[in-house]
Amino acid sequence: MQTVQRGADSTIRRPFGFAPRSFGVWTVVGAVLVVVPQVIHDSFVLDVLILAGLYVGFALTYDLTVGYVGSLSLAHPAFFGIGAYVTGLLATKLHTPILVNLIAAAVLAALFAVAVGIPSFRLSEYSFAVGTLGFATVGQVVAQNWIDVTDGPLCVTNIPKPAIFVTIDSLPAFYYLMTAAAVLILLFMHRLIGSRIGRSFKAVRENEVMAESVGINPLKYKMLAFSLGAAGAAGIGTLYAYFIGIVCPTDLALTGTLTLLVILFIGGSGSLRGVVLGAILVTALPEFLRIGDQWRLLLYGVALLLIINFLPNGLEGLFHRRSRT
Amino acid sequence: MQLFIDQLVNGVTLGSVYALVAIGLSLIFGIVRLINFAHGEFFMLGAYILFFTFVQAQVPYGLAIVLCVVGMGLVGAIFYKIVYEPVMDRKWTAQLVATLAASVILTNAAILLFGGTQRGAPTSLSNQVLILGTLRVSYQRLLAVAVTLVAFFLLDLFITRTRIGRAMRAVSQNREVAQVVGINIRWIALVTFTVSASLAGLAAALIAPLQTISPTMGALLTLKAFAIVVIGGLGKVTGAVYAAFLVGLAESLATVYVSSEYKDAVAFLLMIAFLIWRPRGLFGQKVGI
Repeated sequence: MQTVQRGADSTIRRPFGFAPRSFGVWTVVGAVLVVVPQVIHDSFVLDVLILAGLYVGFALTYDLTVGYVGSLSLAHPAFFGIGAYVTGLLATKLHTPILVNLIAAAVLAALFAVAVGIPSFRLSEYSFAVGTLGFATVGQVVAQNWIDVTDGPLCVTNIPKPAIFVTIDSLPAFYYLMTAAAVLILLFMHRLIGSRIGRSFKAVRENEVMAESVGINPLKYKMLAFSLGAAGAAGIGTLYAYFIGIVCPTDLALTGTLTLLVILFIGGSGSLRGVVLGAILVTALPEFLRIGDQWRLLLYGVALLLIINFLPNGLEGLFHRRSRT
Repeated sequence: MQLFIDQLVNGVTLGSVYALVAIGLSLIFGIVRLINFAHGEFFMLGAYILFFTFVQAQVPYGLAIVLCVVGMGLVGAIFYKIVYEPVMDRKWTAQLVATLAASVILTNAAILLFGGTQRGAPTSLSNQVLILGTLRVSYQRLLAVAVTLVAFFLLDLFITRTRIGRAMRAVSQNREVAQVVGINIRWIALVTFTVSASLAGLAAALIAPLQTISPTMGALLTLKAFAIVVIGGLGKVTGAVYAAFLVGLAESLATVYVSSEYKDAVAFLLMIAFLIWRPRGLFGQKVGI
């Protein structure tokens, strides 16, 4: 209930979505983001920052479904993969520009989301989790075995570097691209959740029957959040394909969902600030600790269990506890 | 035609294993309303218990089966205590994520402890073949189907005849009223996890001799077992059994007549079809065990 009211407040008192006093803070943050690649030339650090930007966008779009309408989707990496594959294939076979690929990826992912969402939302909240999981699994099987198109385990390789006015082929250029994308998604989300649509999302999450009684169609808003999130994930997938230059079936794997859930639970699902912090923490920490894949996943698993038990609202919960006392 | 009959036999064996795994999942869902993502890892751990007792310690196969079942029952109880009980009163999403975390911990701990290499635990029955006319079936498969049928029979007796079985059904039908008449939910949940993990252990003991054993063997199985549970109707144990055989048969027929690459997608395509046309599952009844 409390979150619903906070959202409503922010649109009334803050016409542009931000309180005037926070402009100073945002200018500083923006300046730091712009200056970073001019100061830091270490390619490892830039790599990690790019990855962090990618996960900020990825996790924010995931939280649209999980945090704002409260449905547990397990198909987010599948939409990411669709975006990456569409882009990889279009760019290598038809040599289309990035903007065309981005739109194609987003539209296709949104269509898939509608096709998966309609049967999955039908029965119960559980069937949505299971249905999206089935879709994700089928997606990976198809990517693995549709050799004629995807080259299966050999991956789509040699994806050309994109051009937006200039060719983006250096780490700083990718850093700017990814950061811009993350910031755009953040701003979009901020405006969306403060709007009428965002309040409807939260109403559906808090109490579906009540929402319906005031004229909000729960299915419509769930589908909207799910397909918007899917389009966003596909967009992130497009950028990822250009950055890495290779797209493999493992990019669709379920372990991606695990990383996203860790981010959401560490940061605090349903809070923009929490999710952004969570994404940066979860992507950067294992990279700097330089640990192997198995240890990283083991660590994620243990962290997730501990957080669920001892920190139910993530880092965001800590902020609130402190501000109340 | 020969091929068709062979695939039917394969389908029935596959189906009986799926049934043992899916029943456990279905019991947990039906009684405590939890989707257990770590269920395939129960199967994986069971297979490793078989490997360590039967292959490494050279325990006789019959005793190894018993050790698998008892050992996994213990794992189920520990899993209940560490993973489920702390989140018992939380939202279902938190519970689901807890089991997902447990599944990742178990898989990766298994890779780190047992190594990523594939192992085998063939029994003397694996290579002996029963020949009936043109039909050839390995005795291990026959054993798997036979033991599965006995296990269903015993489980059915347990659920319908014993006091605790009736209490389990009561909880699945109405949790609040069950508590009002004095049923201890925690105790019932503990029994449910123990039983369903032992069933996964039994499935592993029976079928692992025909497969390779690896830390990731459970992942796809969990997902397929879910599809089966949805097809059978969420929380319906008998529905899950029929659905398991349906999926087993469909999968082995698809391997031959459609394509072997896409066989892993069959269960999910069936599930999606059911969600669209028969969202309440095979028998179209409400949730319950």
